[in-house]
Amino acid sequence: MIHVEIAGETLFTIAGFAVTNSMVGAVLAALLLLLGAWYVTSRSALIPSRMQSLLELPVEWMAGIVEGSTSRWRSYVGLVIALFLMILVANWLGLLPGVGTIGIYHEVDGHEVLTPLVRPAGADLNFTLGLAIITFVVFVWWGVRVNGPVGYLKELVGEPRYMAPLMFPIHLISELSRLVSLSMRLFGNVFAGEVLIATMLALTTATLFVIPLAFFVPAIFLGLELLFGAVQAMVFALLTMTYITMAIAEHGGENAADEDAHGHLDTEPDSHPAASPA
Amino acid sequence: MDSNLAAGLAMIGAIGPGIGLGIGFSKAMEALGRNPEAAGAIFVPYILGLALTEAIGIYCLVVALILIFAGG
Repeated sequence: MIHVEIAGETLFTIAGFAVTNSMVGAVLAALLLLLGAWYVTSRSALIPSRMQSLLELPVEWMAGIVEGSTSRWRSYVGLVIALFLMILVANWLGLLPGVGTIGIYHEVDGHEVLTPLVRPAGADLNFTLGLAIITFVVFVWWGVRVNGPVGYLKELVGEPRYMAPLMFPIHLISELSRLVSLSMRLFGNVFAGEVLIATMLALTTATLFVIPLAFFVPAIFLGLELLFGAVQAMVFALLTMTYITMAIAEHGGENAADEDAHGHLDTEPDSHPAASPA
Repeated sequence: MDSNLAAGLAMIGAIGPGIGLGIGFSKAMEALGRNPEAAGAIFVPYILGLALTEAIGIYCLVVALILIFAGG
């Protein structure tokens, strides 16, 4: 029987503040990112080395996508790229050998239970909810900044004013549901990935007969998790970008320079349907 | 035992997003076949659409996993 904890396990407490193993994972991911940033900025050259190009690749790619969203993209491109890199590194960190397997044994209800020292940060709802709250605050702030506090409330109330008693709660819930869906999506994916790999290991090591499979089957799913980790990081960052874009561009009247709400979808403005051969 | 059954029942909800993802993917491939040059323009909204659809299935999965690992 496999055993996976839903919540991060407490390793030790500092003055009543519980330090969990998922916090260790998040801090490790942040340190890795800092190290990468330090490496790139300390020896960056106009003609990049291989290492520099490799580290610049995800940043440039993400910046290219954000660039097409609105004319004010420079003020939020940093947040989108930071979210992308943080989630990407935190997800991939969880696939390294030793994460989730090296830990301390202690006794619970008569049988020994392993408390891993490091747990992938994304497999803890506190981490994903924290990131989602950052996104939520930022896109509400942009909505208030672009439309003004009154304009933002008017937007929540909706257009036919007499429908307000019905539409205001719906709009409010739809804003808040973004918080839930953003955090739950990331948590569900990463946690399900952990359970999936644990299940595959448990299945292939259940009897002596299938032991040779234990070398191949989990490896396939580890490869799959590599892909999912990148996709989920991208999805979180792109949804953050989309929410900010919608907050900025919903009232295009006063910002004629901005594109409409769906303007960010055209990353290649020169590919019009008219250009396709008849 | 009851919570395991409940977890299995919760995963019935993954049927809907499964069909939805299939429709989304097939339409994206159709669009790509009609206009291969639009691959870059299709990619971002396609991934976002899949993520939003998939979220529903993920809710079911989270409920099922909580039932198994934290339920009574």
